[in-house]
Amino acid sequence: MNIPSHPEENPMPQSHAPAEDRLTVSRRWLLLKIGIAFNAVVGLAITVPVLKYLFAAVKPDAAYKSWVSLGPIADFPVGETRLAKFTNPVRLSWDGETSGVACWVRRVAEREFQVFAINCAHLGCPVRWFPQSQLFMCPCHGGAYYADGSRASGPPERGLFTYDARIVGSTLQIDAGQMPTLSNTAKLVQLDGGHDRTKGDSPCRG
Amino acid sequence: MHRAHSVSLLAVCSILIGCASHLPTMNSVQPVPRPDQIVSFDRLYGENCSACHGANGQDGPAIDLNNAVLQQLLDDATLHRVIRDGVPGTQMPAFGESAGGMLTDAQVDALVAGMRRRWASASLVHPVQMPPYTSTLTGNTARGQQLYQSDCRSCHSGRRQQVTDPTYLALVSEQALRTILIAGRPDLGHPGWLTVGGGRAITDQDVTDLVAYLVSLRVATPGQPYPEQSETGKTAPHTQEK
Amino acid sequence: MSRLKQIYSWLDHRLQLGKPLIEMAEHPIPNRTASWWYVFGSAAFTLLLLQIVTGILLALVYVPSAGEAWNSLNFLNHQLTLGWFLRAMHGWGSNFMVAVVLIHMAQVFLFGAYKYPREFTWTLGVFLLLMTLGMAFTGQVMRFDQDAYWGLGIGASIVSRVPWVGGSLVHMMLGGPIIAGATLSRFFTLHVFVIPGLMLVFTFLHVWMVLKLGINEWPMPGRVVRRSTYMAEYHELTTRDGLPFVPGGVWKDAVFSAAIIAAVAVCAVVFGPFGPSGQPDPTIIQTVPKPDFFFLWLYAVLSYLPPSLETPFLLIAPVLGIAALLGLPFYAAEGEKSWHRRPIAILVLTTVAVSFGVLTHLGTYTPWSPHMDAWSGGPSIPARFLHTASPLEREGAVVFQAKQCRNCHSIAGYGGQRGPALDDIATRMTKDQLIRQVLQGGGNMPAYGKNLSPSEVTALVSFLETLHPANEPAAADAAQAAATGPSGH
Repeated sequence: MNIPSHPEENPMPQSHAPAEDRLTVSRRWLLLKIGIAFNAVVGLAITVPVLKYLFAAVKPDAAYKSWVSLGPIADFPVGETRLAKFTNPVRLSWDGETSGVACWVRRVAEREFQVFAINCAHLGCPVRWFPQSQLFMCPCHGGAYYADGSRASGPPERGLFTYDARIVGSTLQIDAGQMPTLSNTAKLVQLDGGHDRTKGDSPCRG
Repeated sequence: MHRAHSVSLLAVCSILIGCASHLPTMNSVQPVPRPDQIVSFDRLYGENCSACHGANGQDGPAIDLNNAVLQQLLDDATLHRVIRDGVPGTQMPAFGESAGGMLTDAQVDALVAGMRRRWASASLVHPVQMPPYTSTLTGNTARGQQLYQSDCRSCHSGRRQQVTDPTYLALVSEQALRTILIAGRPDLGHPGWLTVGGGRAITDQDVTDLVAYLVSLRVATPGQPYPEQSETGKTAPHTQEK
Repeated sequence: MSRLKQIYSWLDHRLQLGKPLIEMAEHPIPNRTASWWYVFGSAAFTLLLLQIVTGILLALVYVPSAGEAWNSLNFLNHQLTLGWFLRAMHGWGSNFMVAVVLIHMAQVFLFGAYKYPREFTWTLGVFLLLMTLGMAFTGQVMRFDQDAYWGLGIGASIVSRVPWVGGSLVHMMLGGPIIAGATLSRFFTLHVFVIPGLMLVFTFLHVWMVLKLGINEWPMPGRVVRRSTYMAEYHELTTRDGLPFVPGGVWKDAVFSAAIIAAVAVCAVVFGPFGPSGQPDPTIIQTVPKPDFFFLWLYAVLSYLPPSLETPFLLIAPVLGIAALLGLPFYAAEGEKSWHRRPIAILVLTTVAVSFGVLTHLGTYTPWSPHMDAWSGGPSIPARFLHTASPLEREGAVVFQAKQCRNCHSIAGYGGQRGPALDDIATRMTKDQLIRQVLQGGGNMPAYGKNLSPSEVTALVSFLETLHPANEPAAADAAQAAATGPSGH
């Protein structure tokens, strides 16, 4: 299966004349080296801002967190745990529904609150509160927590994440702003497995 | 040898297709609605009520809602309130958002309307007036006991019909006793107010007295797993007789 | 005809592609490799092309914005003519592609095709597998619904476990502090630009090497690969018992590729598109997130690991696994190719396949998850347990439902499978054992002592004691019967 050679087809020009001695053209090699070095300098100068742009989202936790109101404390009956919703303080106009955040508010006493993240301490799925059995259950891998947020069973290795809470006037505020994960909340109060924590070391300031 | 390879290849392909056919599929005709926008009675009832009150409002552990007498006994406001706020002190949970549940007022309304549509009967007329849902009368415990001995004991003497068990009485509200006395549990073959008194219809006063008597049997420390051996708890009548 | 030839010559004179392509088509391949076992690589390539085409067509309509993505998917599904079909093709194409890539890899492993001189072809193939899985995961994110949202949450929770830089990695992954607009934008970039671009480059190199180094010969027991002699032996084989690649081997590739595309289309028509499920509103907590089919095995692994092993496993196992795959051809570059002489390879492949199958099967019905609605919805406890029950026992059944016991324990086949089914619990546990288990929990069951009143416990246990077959009595404590017997009579 030979391709018939076309009359007007010329053989491709073969390689140029034999390379000149490298030593005699060291000027060209030098120029190439200068060219490469110039590229390196420009590249470096551009890389720094590009990397800064790329890592712009990486900030210390404090930069994302601020006090958010969950509404009047009267909305939360004493002794009960209720779902509260708020809009994340850091948001973009095109976030749509995703800038909403839910959390569980437990009013332990008149002026004592515990606010739990909706995210399971295992892998972040939304836990649901069952007042009848006084348990939080996670639909993903079966984590369960007692009313005070301590681990009851399943794969989580700790209790529910808590938000710092405070009462300002008659409203409840929490220190929120980012998705709670083991990396940014594990250093907070570690809820041990003690089931008898009636008062607990809740981080609430009331 | 070559054929064997073709056969195993075929097997691989069928596994591939087999796996694929188990994948979740086929979305509905409409976009998935938000949970708080669902007002289909079947869906709401099937997700929130059927486990206790039975698939068709019958044959569940809790009272049967598919009972025209019960539907007549309860007015809309009461039904709505019970679903929304639950009944404290009993197992009936609060389903309304305002009480910590998951259902909006519109959804509770949809449940009430659906039950009426399915299980109420507008043409239900009784020969004698039905005792009201709640009573203004005061109960007479002694008369209630007499009534119980004469009208109820014939059925409720056996171990399996023991309604005087103080543990049972600790778990049900007075209203629940009253409701079941009037409406009965037709799905279990238990009579309502028209026939419960040995074929005689019972009156508002009878119901009130019977409830007062049963409530008087409650004890300070119910829930003894072995009432026969318990000394602190008041022993139930059936064990005294043995 | 001569006109066509003229045009061809004119073009080829400028393109300079004719000669290498014809050489490529005519290069001899070993006779026996023209087998149906060698069609998966080309099928994976065809599926990649299908994914690119359907992906571009979907991108004509899809809006990669957290606020609008879900709406645009529903527009595709329900309003745009045949939008559902394109979504279904892309979704099923993705599943078929992962499956075919895995089968291709298993076949290459089984046939020892990664050995000298094809080590680097395998290396690139490993990266192509990882990128295919990366496309599958980012594609699940594109379907921006509740599963996608909470899937991202699981991903962020895994990433957050990396020591020291976990928090920063989460910010990098999400593009901000929470899963929101910035997150979808960056996964869109990955799914549409970064990974497909890399995939095309890697695929080109992968195919280039296959064509230049020749297709792996059919492995024969005793035909041992040696670096010093392999190239000559392969050349000898292809000249002695070879046939040209086109059409000798390629017609089967063509037939199988067409069959695969047809299968994708049939699945798309019959089963329809995947989702989207509910809108990605994180305040809707009535949701049961679940990953797509090819990540179900991972979902199962994550639920069975003991808590203390989880972080080490999540961070170390993938590194080891990928290192093992990458290192394989360099560790075993020489030696036997035939599976008749490689028992360990067979054992490894079987173990991996069986584990994958079992874990995926478990992932389809998640026996470790509570059924969040089983306490209030679904079929009630069967009438046979209730009709003859005493008022207390029936009240106990209500307690059983109301205290969410059924979320984890099934009766009559309905309910969670986290704990044991209780249809015949009374034959296995005595009254006292039941009371203890309810009050104190244990064996991964929470303790209910503080949450149930004594009456509730007594009612519940008296109900549980009725759960036994009619012809099999409930378990009884003989010692207690002896102790209390005389006083009771």
